[in-house]
Amino acid sequence: MRDRVFGVLGLFKSGDALLEAVPRLKDKGFTQLEAYTPYPVHGLDEALGLPPSRVGVLVFIMALVGGLSAFGLEWWTSTVSYPLLTAGKAYNGWPGWIPVVFEATILFGTFTAGLGTLFVFNKLPFFGDPVFGTKATLDIGRDRFALVVLSADGSLDAPAASAALSAVGGEAIEVVPLPDRPKAGIGWWMKVVIGIAAACVVAGFGVAWAVRTMPTAKPWVAMEVQPKLDAQQADSFFANGRGMRRPPPGTVARAYMPILAKDPEQAGKALVDPLPVTARVLDRGQEMFNLHCAVCHDKLGTGKAWLSKRYKAQPANLQSSMMRQATDGALYWVISKGYGTMPGYAADVSQDDRWAIVRYVRALQRSEDAPTRDEVGARSPQPGQRFARSQPHPPSPATPN
Amino acid sequence: MSDAMIPPTAWARKSPRPALPEALRPEPLVQGDVSLADLDNRIRTLSEAKPPRAWYIAITITSLMALAGFAAIAYMLSTGIGTMGNNVPVVWGFLIINFVFWVGIGHAGTLISVILLLFRQRWRNAICRTAEAVTVFAFVCAMVFPAIHVGRPWLPHWLLPYPNERGMWVNFRSPLIWDVCAVVTYFSVSLLFWYLGLIPDFASLRGRVKSRVKRAAFKLLSLGWAGRARQWLHYEKAYLILAGLTTTLALSVHSIVSMDFASSMVPGWHMTIFPPYFVVGAAFSGFAGVVLVFAFVRRIMNLQNYITLRHMDLLNRMVLFLSCVMGYAYLMEGFTAWYSSDNFTRYIFANYVFGDQWWAGCLTIFCNVLLPQLLWVPKFRRSVPVMVLVSLGVTLGMWMERYTIIILSVHRDFVPATWGTYLPTPIDFIILLGSIGMFLTMLLFFLRKMPIIATWEVKPDIAHHHQEHKEAEHA
Repeated sequence: MRDRVFGVLGLFKSGDALLEAVPRLKDKGFTQLEAYTPYPVHGLDEALGLPPSRVGVLVFIMALVGGLSAFGLEWWTSTVSYPLLTAGKAYNGWPGWIPVVFEATILFGTFTAGLGTLFVFNKLPFFGDPVFGTKATLDIGRDRFALVVLSADGSLDAPAASAALSAVGGEAIEVVPLPDRPKAGIGWWMKVVIGIAAACVVAGFGVAWAVRTMPTAKPWVAMEVQPKLDAQQADSFFANGRGMRRPPPGTVARAYMPILAKDPEQAGKALVDPLPVTARVLDRGQEMFNLHCAVCHDKLGTGKAWLSKRYKAQPANLQSSMMRQATDGALYWVISKGYGTMPGYAADVSQDDRWAIVRYVRALQRSEDAPTRDEVGARSPQPGQRFARSQPHPPSPATPN
Repeated sequence: MSDAMIPPTAWARKSPRPALPEALRPEPLVQGDVSLADLDNRIRTLSEAKPPRAWYIAITITSLMALAGFAAIAYMLSTGIGTMGNNVPVVWGFLIINFVFWVGIGHAGTLISVILLLFRQRWRNAICRTAEAVTVFAFVCAMVFPAIHVGRPWLPHWLLPYPNERGMWVNFRSPLIWDVCAVVTYFSVSLLFWYLGLIPDFASLRGRVKSRVKRAAFKLLSLGWAGRARQWLHYEKAYLILAGLTTTLALSVHSIVSMDFASSMVPGWHMTIFPPYFVVGAAFSGFAGVVLVFAFVRRIMNLQNYITLRHMDLLNRMVLFLSCVMGYAYLMEGFTAWYSSDNFTRYIFANYVFGDQWWAGCLTIFCNVLLPQLLWVPKFRRSVPVMVLVSLGVTLGMWMERYTIIILSVHRDFVPATWGTYLPTPIDFIILLGSIGMFLTMLLFFLRKMPIIATWEVKPDIAHHHQEHKEAEHA
């Protein structure tokens, strides 16, 4: 069987010589021509009658797609999926999205231009161009310009074409056979599909692994793991094997001033209410009183709460005259240490809160036996005597443990 | 196709230039009696011959520098950021200076390859390939810095907007995400442009290199490029479109980098001049970097016939021009500070040149504005020692400029109680040195292993040169 022919090839020394040869060959009736050049020769597309490239159209469309996708992503994430208020701007404040829209437009446009030209318009990669089998192929890459009279329908008169090429100045004329390419069968396609599927599976597992491990990976932990002992940690350095040391005797924890007074009387002489006169202190005192005390002493301090009816113990009536005459320090001592059946609350209520409760008890006593002059509007408060609402440093209600 | 539409990658055949008198005729872009085949052989042998001893010595030094840099980075990451000079109030230290510096150097490739292509400056053809390589390598160096600066370099993907298990998205109104998008886009597009330009050269070399490995590699990389008329048609169109689109990128990338600073309130950063000022600065350092590279490459690789003194002259003119624009930008910055009537901004600018680190501001102005004025002298523009001196100066000056902006602005901001002084540590310097080593190592490999001149772009110039030569003889 005769080899199928791709065409007849002739070499020219310059682009100009090639350009001049094209119309002359066409005059001789050889209209199916193809050229191979080491660099782009301008005017060749017109001479060969090639249609203009449509790369630009594709680039325009894809650039638009890129820009709109970026805008869509920004709109969706900023207003729907993850609305985040920053700098007091509206969620859909689109001017801030422009840079990313711009970058995406250019990215899509450029990659369409580059990869589209290679893979879509020129159908690369393709390693089977007929001219690769010829002697001329090295020269074309270097400094020769090849013109091929194509055998479009397989009926080219090769000798006539050779003569015509020679007549217009072509050199090193040779017949280019059409390389035999085995047709890609079903087996080949199966291999391709299986290959792609395998690649997808491997890539999928890879991505899944990366997504699972990388966020929690800690290649360097020197910042977290430091040479120090945490609380409750064992260590052989000390004889008892404990990392923690007992504080030296006489250490006083902050906000846990020990009460040295032996009884309420002593305490009344030694202790003074340290809190400022503010509404916040009274509010806190009310809150703490209702939480810890009211269950037995009642919300008004009468000592007749519902719980006291069920037990034999009789809680003190805070409205009694004895309680009214007791000093602040004595009340504080009783709250802290307990009295009779009442347990001490030093462990449950912080120092400042206990004083706040004392203060609130005083307010309760006053409210149940208010003198006439306390009527609303009867007398304006003396400066410095009543609540100063704008105290700069109210006490911290919760003291650190 | 009208003449205006003809892409500048080949000579407009239809309209030969009218013959100019001898004195007005531009110096040819190619020197000596060289043919298309000579160029091919030169490029091929460069990538095949055993490199000279100097190359081995150079690459040993540069790769050791790079290794030292990586070691310093590993030490910094494992021990803590405190090993560097960063501390409140200067939390953006050397790492961000180096990032901006390398991004700036990376502008050379695009400007030379793309903008000069659109302006039909044919002298770009001989140098565009290596300039693009400078871009790609500089960007590789640049991208290292934000990655290590975030503190957890194994989580770089957190910078990107992707659906994740945390249910969070990036804040698209932040200049930092603009920066990520701009840098990633610019790098990938530069890489694409570089590769696209290399394809015809790989095709030209694939059949002639001797090493079988290289032959197979070039064949694969050329994707089976045959040089058909139709292939060239699409290719040139795409090349031109890419050039147009990449031009907008080149102008936008450093603008967006500058917004990292300009959109904050810090005195000395909060200025509308920042985007154009950064772009010019980037182009300036880029051109200086390319001059520096070519001053050595053309001599060591014996390419004087293709990269002539005229090329260097033209590059130096660009450096001079951009230096004048930089001078204008500095004046304008100072004027803005004065005109703002804001005491803090005024103080910052005085602090640049009279403060405790006055040498940073003074060195910036001396290296970037005063030193390049030497290039007004035509003789100096063609003198290799002078151009090496100037471009080294500009490179240093541009680094100092970023130091001035990044360090000296934040260390004295609105609240005097937070004022502090920044002092870099040896780790800072080793990391900087490492990035220089990394850049030079990549460049040296490129110079010995790849086609360093875009032959398909220079060949038309040679053909044209021959034609003119012939015509002159004929006359």
